[in-house]
Amino acid sequence: MILSFTLRVTLAAVFIFLLAPVIVVIITSFNGGPIFTFPPTHFTTRWFALIKPSFIDATYVSLIVASGTAVLSVVFGVPAALGLSRGQFFGRDALGAIFLSPLMIPALVTGVALYQATFVLWDMAHLQIGGTIPGLIIAHLTFGIPFVVRTVLAGDARFEHAIEEAALNLGATPLQSFWRVTAPILRPSIISGAIFAFVMSLDDVPIALFMGGGHATTLPVRIFTTVEFDFGGDVMAVASAIVGVSVVAMMLLDRLIGLGELFGAKQ
Amino acid sequence: MSFSIAGTKPLARDVAHGNSWQLLLLPTAILLGVIFVIPIGDLIQLSFHTMSGPGQVDSRLTVGNYQTFITDTFLLEILLRTCAMGLLVVVCCLIVGFPVAYYLARTESRWRGMALFLVISPLLVSAIVRNIGWYPLLSESGLVNSLLLKLGVVGSPLQLINNFTGVVVGLVHALLPFMILTLTTVIQRIERDLEEAAANLGAGPLRVFCHVLLPLSLPGVVSGSLLVFTMAISAYTTPAILGGNRVLVMATYIGQQFRTVLDYPAGATAAALLLVFAVLLTALASRVRTRGTDLA
Repeated sequence: MILSFTLRVTLAAVFIFLLAPVIVVIITSFNGGPIFTFPPTHFTTRWFALIKPSFIDATYVSLIVASGTAVLSVVFGVPAALGLSRGQFFGRDALGAIFLSPLMIPALVTGVALYQATFVLWDMAHLQIGGTIPGLIIAHLTFGIPFVVRTVLAGDARFEHAIEEAALNLGATPLQSFWRVTAPILRPSIISGAIFAFVMSLDDVPIALFMGGGHATTLPVRIFTTVEFDFGGDVMAVASAIVGVSVVAMMLLDRLIGLGELFGAKQ
Repeated sequence: MSFSIAGTKPLARDVAHGNSWQLLLLPTAILLGVIFVIPIGDLIQLSFHTMSGPGQVDSRLTVGNYQTFITDTFLLEILLRTCAMGLLVVVCCLIVGFPVAYYLARTESRWRGMALFLVISPLLVSAIVRNIGWYPLLSESGLVNSLLLKLGVVGSPLQLINNFTGVVVGLVHALLPFMILTLTTVIQRIERDLEEAAANLGAGPLRVFCHVLLPLSLPGVVSGSLLVFTMAISAYTTPAILGGNRVLVMATYIGQQFRTVLDYPAGATAAALLLVFAVLLTALASRVRTRGTDLA
């Protein structure tokens, strides 16, 4: 059929479009000629040898910040989600909306707002938050906590509360019932919320650009500022390495949890 | 939570459903209040001041910044360029995304899972990496230009990056998955019989699309468009990188005011406007979504 042929060609074109920039990053990182010229002229691995130590340092910063964000998002997000889903009080919906609102507001706006707040804090208490790793983690909690709240709220909505009551009626203390019943059932939601917080923290530019700097520069921000002034093959090599690591991480996640599960929890 | 009542049966019910749960909210509410609500409030407050020197803020209150935004042609142009960019990205995503969404909604092929994975795969790769990948494709000696030159379509290389075109290409690429997923959900809910009935009654594929498929998928088209528009005007990384610091839209203007011009009140005004737009559009999108499901 003509229609199905047209549809097939369109699909192929769209998939090529979607994959093109990522594949090009990998190919270009081995391009011995001018890096903006495509197709490449000859093969080289020298760009990988030219990766500056500052990119390695930035990778460590990114990993520390993302881990801190994921852990603290769970610590603050899980109780908040349980409070929201089980508490009965005036203004619960409004409070829930506020808890999720950071996901609605452009990250850039959050970034500049926090940037201004660091000045205020410095003026008031001579406290230096901007340009520090704790500062970056605090900044990333603004979206990390809402991610965990959202996934745990969704998980708790599907949860049969009678099981908890059964545990309590059988003589479990509330704490035992939480650790033995509630926590294991909510674990998939908590894990996917934590993974989202981790990944979003690794990916973020606008917030880390304004809150970071100096020794607290994350990898995406380092790439961003390098691209602005000195875009060379070493940046392509870094980007290519990121793609490689992401693919491996995705395969591992798919094995361990299942990507479908992860995305199901996001919706 | 009070643990003193543990074990007593009548009260166990109260622990599961009762009022002590909301105490769990307190630490997080305080934290988000301090690290999010207060800074955003402070930023909005800042937009009612003016600059008294680079990085300095005058203490008097004024609505002048907002007045300037609707009278100054330079700022109006930024506002219009932002809307034009958002609309163009939406239209491109709709045109490119609809066929893919239709396929995903209707196919029973064993390749469906693979196709779905390909659609979301750009979301799984770092935004900054995707942006960088456009350079070897769209630069003067890049793939697109060398193909166009070889085929004789153009005589000299086109400027496709570090300008408005580059930004739109990058945003369509980044936001297309969201459009496709939204449309797929809606098309799946349309009865396949309706299309077949129309076709049996003699309607060609184009008429089936215009008179059956499109009207019935309208809630999805509208909510997908609102989502993509909001994300397009909110994005900072893509316009900054693919615009090569030359494309001024709301986001890049805000970045510039805070990073180089150091006119914080002007940047705060634009940021407050962007925030209001984003919140209004998101609220509108969720209205459309709930009405859409009511109809279905």
